[in-house]
Amino acid sequence: MIQLFHVSKYYDRRPALSDINLQIDKGEFVLLIGPSGAGKTTLLKLLFCEERPDEGQILVQGRNMARMRPSDVPFLRRTMGMVFQDFRLLPKKSVFENVALPLLVQGASTFETRRRVMDALKAVGVEHKRDHRPMMLSAGEQQRVCIARAIVNGPIILLADEPTGNLDPDLAAEIIELFKAINARGTTVMVATHNRHVIEQVNRRVVAISQGKVMMDKGYRE
Amino acid sequence: MLYWVQEAFANIRLNRTTTVIAVATTAFTLACFGVFLLLYLNLKEMADSLHEDFQVVVYLSDDVAAQDISKLRQTVKEDPGVESLTYVSKEQALMDFREQFPAESHLLDGLGENPLPASFEVTLAPSLRSPPSVTRWAERLRGLPGVAEVRYSREWVENLTTMIGYLELAGFAVGAVLAAASVTIIASTIRLTLYARREEIQIMRLIGATPAFITIPYVLEGAVLGAIGSLLSLAILKGGLEFMKLQPGAPGQVLGLETGFHFFPVQVSLLMVLVGLVLGCAGSLISVLDMGRARV
Repeated sequence: MIQLFHVSKYYDRRPALSDINLQIDKGEFVLLIGPSGAGKTTLLKLLFCEERPDEGQILVQGRNMARMRPSDVPFLRRTMGMVFQDFRLLPKKSVFENVALPLLVQGASTFETRRRVMDALKAVGVEHKRDHRPMMLSAGEQQRVCIARAIVNGPIILLADEPTGNLDPDLAAEIIELFKAINARGTTVMVATHNRHVIEQVNRRVVAISQGKVMMDKGYRE
Repeated sequence: MLYWVQEAFANIRLNRTTTVIAVATTAFTLACFGVFLLLYLNLKEMADSLHEDFQVVVYLSDDVAAQDISKLRQTVKEDPGVESLTYVSKEQALMDFREQFPAESHLLDGLGENPLPASFEVTLAPSLRSPPSVTRWAERLRGLPGVAEVRYSREWVENLTTMIGYLELAGFAVGAVLAAASVTIIASTIRLTLYARREEIQIMRLIGATPAFITIPYVLEGAVLGAIGSLLSLAILKGGLEFMKLQPGAPGQVLGLETGFHFFPVQVSLLMVLVGLVLGCAGSLISVLDMGRARV
């Protein structure tokens, strides 16, 4: 599903990622851990084609990101969902409109959009807030809306960058349970976090990064 | 489609002040260009009507016999460049003079003999009405036996044609400068909108929107600004023209236009709106492409 071969990325000649090799299979749940500045976000950006690697190859769903034409990038992103620490919701649009955006850019019909948005909102438990503006919601609710937007397309891969970073421990646990439920339906999930509670709660494959290098790649604790 | 239109108008609402400035400046610049266009079109119309009435007078020598006049008349009439021909005899010329200048008619009484020559008043075919063609035609006629002189209002027509040519050039130059100004102003307005909505644009990119999908509302915004600006410029020009018509010595009368200055015909007005719209789109595209270069 996702393969990285000797991937390096530099910012101002300083390595953000160095010689990363990683393989993630279909349906896996992977926690990407490490301190701030370790390179977690850079890795997610590379997978989401927001950045290009300076060295190495990245294959996502069998497609080589380094050789991908810029015009193909939007179509790749439509098969992936992204959850952000700061939610990145459009403040002037309602919850429904925010979640409907990925369907809108794909030209889905009104009927289809309505059905899928309501399904996504129900899946994350905020369907009753559909007409609210994001600013009227709590941080936990905003993150749920962000997750609804990421899964409304039925993505093959879901990437989350510090999704619990702005949430208290109870809310964080609820959000992680949501990711587990999404993963149980067959979506490959990759969550970047530095929250130790999340590692204990998930109990899945953990990839630890430090100073741009993979320091540990550990599977289930059976 | 509805989404794009809604977004375009949301963008306009977002930057009300800059939108008003952009529309006003576009209107002003297009109105300046419109003044040139109005002047050009009216003078051209005037020149065309002068060309239509364009007459050449062929004066005959006094010593030409009646039968030679008849032959000459036939020769001139058969010329493919001649549309119509009227013969004015010496007597007729005298009568016309007395009719047109009754106060001065006594000047001719003292001369005894009628000094006015017989002539042909020739209306040339439209293809021959340009100044170089008339000159060539007149030269050829001067060579015919019995022709004393060929006269036409050459200088006036040539001057007018030259003036229209200069006006055309000036119009293009001023138009190009003003069009560039309009494009720059609209581009700056769209750039402000793009800056205000950069976060939103980033999110749209991340959820898989194509550059075209993101760009269309901004191009529409530019088109709306340009079109409103040009409509406003038409209103300014129309208002200005009506105001000037009320003044004594209005420009149309000064230039000798019987019906005064005309406003643009509907087709030209629509073309002006289209020009505004295209300039607006161009301004938007410049900003959007700039943004695209900054980040794919």
